[in-house]
Amino acid sequence: MNFEAVIGLEIHVEMNTKSKMFSTAPIRYGALPNSLTVPLDFAFPGTMPVVNKQAVINAIRICNALHMTIDRELWFDRKNYFYSDLPKGYQITQQQRPIGSNGYLEIETSLGKKKISIERLHLEEDTCKQLHSWDCTLLDYNRAGIPLVEIVSRPDLRSGQEARQYAEKIRSIVSFLDVSNGKMEEGSLRCDVNISLRPIGSEKYGTKVEIKNLNSFANIEKAVDYEIKRQEMILISGDSVIQETRRFDEGIKQTVLMRLKTDAVDYKYFTEPNITPIRLSEEFIKDAIETSPELAEVKLARYKDLGLSDYDSQILISNKNTCAYFDKAIKSGPNAKLLANWIIVDVQAVLNKEMIEIDDFKVSPEHLGKLVLMIEKEQVSNKQGREIFQKLLEKDEDPEVIKKALGVDLINDNNMIAEAVKHVIDENPQAVVDYHNGKDRAVGFLVGQVMKKTAGKANPAIVSKLVIEELKRR
Amino acid sequence: MDFLALDILSLHQALLDGKINPIELIKLSIEKAKKDQNNAFEYICEKEALAAAANLDPNKKHNLLWGIPYVLKDNFSTKDIPTTASSNILKGYVPIYSSEVYLRLSEQGAILIGKATLDELAMGGTGMTGHKGFTFNPWDPTHKRMIGGSSCGSAAVVAAGIVPFSIGSDTGDSVRKPASFAALVGMKPTWGRISRFGLFPFAPSLDHVACFTRNVTDSAVVLEALAGRDEKDSSSATAPLEKYSEAIKPDLKGKKFAVIKEINNSISNPYIHAVFDATVKALQERGAIIEYVSMDMKLCKAIYPTYIVISCCEATSNNANLDGIKFGPRFDGKDYEEVMTKARTEGFCEMIKRRFVIGSYALFKDNQAEIFLRAQKVRRLIVDATNKILEKCDAILLPASPTTAPLFNGGNSDKLSNEYLISDNHLAIGNFAGLPSIVLPLGFENGLPFGINVTGKKFAEAEVFSLAKGIEDITKLKDLVAKEDK
Repeated sequence: MNFEAVIGLEIHVEMNTKSKMFSTAPIRYGALPNSLTVPLDFAFPGTMPVVNKQAVINAIRICNALHMTIDRELWFDRKNYFYSDLPKGYQITQQQRPIGSNGYLEIETSLGKKKISIERLHLEEDTCKQLHSWDCTLLDYNRAGIPLVEIVSRPDLRSGQEARQYAEKIRSIVSFLDVSNGKMEEGSLRCDVNISLRPIGSEKYGTKVEIKNLNSFANIEKAVDYEIKRQEMILISGDSVIQETRRFDEGIKQTVLMRLKTDAVDYKYFTEPNITPIRLSEEFIKDAIETSPELAEVKLARYKDLGLSDYDSQILISNKNTCAYFDKAIKSGPNAKLLANWIIVDVQAVLNKEMIEIDDFKVSPEHLGKLVLMIEKEQVSNKQGREIFQKLLEKDEDPEVIKKALGVDLINDNNMIAEAVKHVIDENPQAVVDYHNGKDRAVGFLVGQVMKKTAGKANPAIVSKLVIEELKRR
Repeated sequence: MDFLALDILSLHQALLDGKINPIELIKLSIEKAKKDQNNAFEYICEKEALAAAANLDPNKKHNLLWGIPYVLKDNFSTKDIPTTASSNILKGYVPIYSSEVYLRLSEQGAILIGKATLDELAMGGTGMTGHKGFTFNPWDPTHKRMIGGSSCGSAAVVAAGIVPFSIGSDTGDSVRKPASFAALVGMKPTWGRISRFGLFPFAPSLDHVACFTRNVTDSAVVLEALAGRDEKDSSSATAPLEKYSEAIKPDLKGKKFAVIKEINNSISNPYIHAVFDATVKALQERGAIIEYVSMDMKLCKAIYPTYIVISCCEATSNNANLDGIKFGPRFDGKDYEEVMTKARTEGFCEMIKRRFVIGSYALFKDNQAEIFLRAQKVRRLIVDATNKILEKCDAILLPASPTTAPLFNGGNSDKLSNEYLISDNHLAIGNFAGLPSIVLPLGFENGLPFGINVTGKKFAEAEVFSLAKGIEDITKLKDLVAKEDK
């Protein structure tokens, strides 16, 4: 029997807002434990939640990117349960009325584009971080209250690869929207997978298994693929899959049992009484969307219009900060293709060598743009351009200034160059003979001699053109 | 002169005239607090109060509350001052931040001299469930009668003449009912008018900050100091404020009161009826119009169950933070579950646990639609019916309670009687609808007071004070201090 995997993803994205979802405490990754807290984060009696406006704006932007319906009223609910990492004894979330509903996301599959439906997106707050040691558990309240969005897909995914692509697309969206760094290894993006198998053609869902604690996009794919095989084996041997929660063990590359799903906890949801419903005006929503940072897809289309190849665009877009660098550099007016090439080849080489991110790259995008423009306008040769680039790496200043200091003004004056060409050819009669005997090397030799004579300042393109013209004449 | 028996405005004048200075006044108040016979205090802030009095800014002496001693119910968070909510689960808890109410009163120059007892975590209406035991009604020197709750201590300290005003919280009638039993003015404004930031929540959708004073004008003075938007409480209102104490106009001519027949008729005490009717007559003589209106009896009977369901549901969630992990006394255990279980088993009284069980039960997925959501719907119906009545009049007028202060061992009252279900709990309507509602003295029976209630439209606090002042002028019952000769 052939089976089909039915996969849905629940993705939690931790926001990088200045302050927490309902408190004024600041957010910073890696800070001293419990240093970023206010009384609310510890649930001291009498403290009250106040909704973070930026978190709402962020949520609206993600909803928009995922083509979701955005609720015009903001409602919050309490999810009640006792746990050591939950300070208030309840989590404020949006159960009844998520801010976003019914959206979709497109992924690329071997069969072309595929729409993955998204059921809901809601705002909520994070819990404490627990640090378990052998004799005690330590609690870090820095994480308590950090804004989260939870994005719940419908079970439209069918393979590990699709699941991974979907998750990566979500990461791209939240990262391009400046909502989160989307780093799974830092826990900024967490992914739970629900997966079940059913015979192909069947409408009924099989028993689903949840996989938690996935810490990389690659592991999403591996875990799903493993889990599909595991469930297949069970079903083929005539057994039934048990409803349970599993985690992915990186060492053995298998999913392993965490706990059985017995009676589900009753979370006793009800409307948060301390936050009266907040009306989201059309203007507020419009403004949030219009001021939203550009998404990868939109950038891609724009780069295409600028004349970049798909390959170059994809490379730029694979890193949001590279895009930002490109977008700033292009403002100096250079040709997009040439600029992209410089960034992808020359700049990247420096970054690799120095093992730094583009944010730490010493040459400002304005200056690189100017340099590329100078090359494009043939004010300097390619070689001179590289020389200036080396100087820029030492000291980031206006390339014009460096050009002057190096005295590398390119000679574009035809008459001046023609003069030099005549001189050089006069001095090298053998080269003329060689040329007419079909030895093309003679051209290169003569161009080199002209360049030498002009101290490298003549425009090589003009030199080579004039050398050939002069040779033909003799 | 007994300065402590004076009302706020007279005390203010005495301070301005230099008849007494703030330090002397605070000393008097603390001295009397120390002799308190009603078990009204959780904590007396002697050191803190004297320091505050010594540090008063003389430039602020024209603030009406400057140098005036007061007491907070012990469920308002006060930085560096213990706050227990009269519960063992918060024994020894010293907050690291202050409630907005405390900050505003301090800003005005009012001086906190103590924290008052309450029914544990503000749940209960008897003043019997706090961890320090019963709080007594100063109007009964034999200590056989309750003062009501949950703001029992806050009521007792004003009635006993220890301070001229105190702050309580009112979720069902927790300030207004004790006011009725202690010959005080108890007032809660519109929901959202005063910031609840730092008030330990019982049921946030019903919780109100409220105050006790000994006359209506003082009540307006206190509201003036507390009212207004607070960014820390997003449910606090932005509606415009008024100078409440100056806006009082006791002229009753043409004012329209509605008396809800079903509620009034459920009272069995003929004496209370007689005094109420006589007052109604006096109001009419002064040009007021009284209309007897009807409310569906089914709704009237549903007030109490609705209140219990909603308040218990919210309470079980609000108090889930009390788990023995972050603050309060530590109960050891081998894992977090044992720590929590121990803390919550030993930390709460039986009544609290019962309410949590009711709340949890009503919130369970399988029960929620049938119990909790139904209660919410009934609440909406009651609110709609009340607002409909208020469309056609200025305020609703009713006896505040069907009895005077009950005996501690009065036996089980019939909890299914109309009197209990309706007239003993009707003040909760003001909480359901978040309306401004005041109770002031109406009369005495056998030396024990009972009150009258005026409930007005949303944000019509000034109107409610004016109407109440008109009634106060008729009853002449104001500035009453219980004589405590044992």
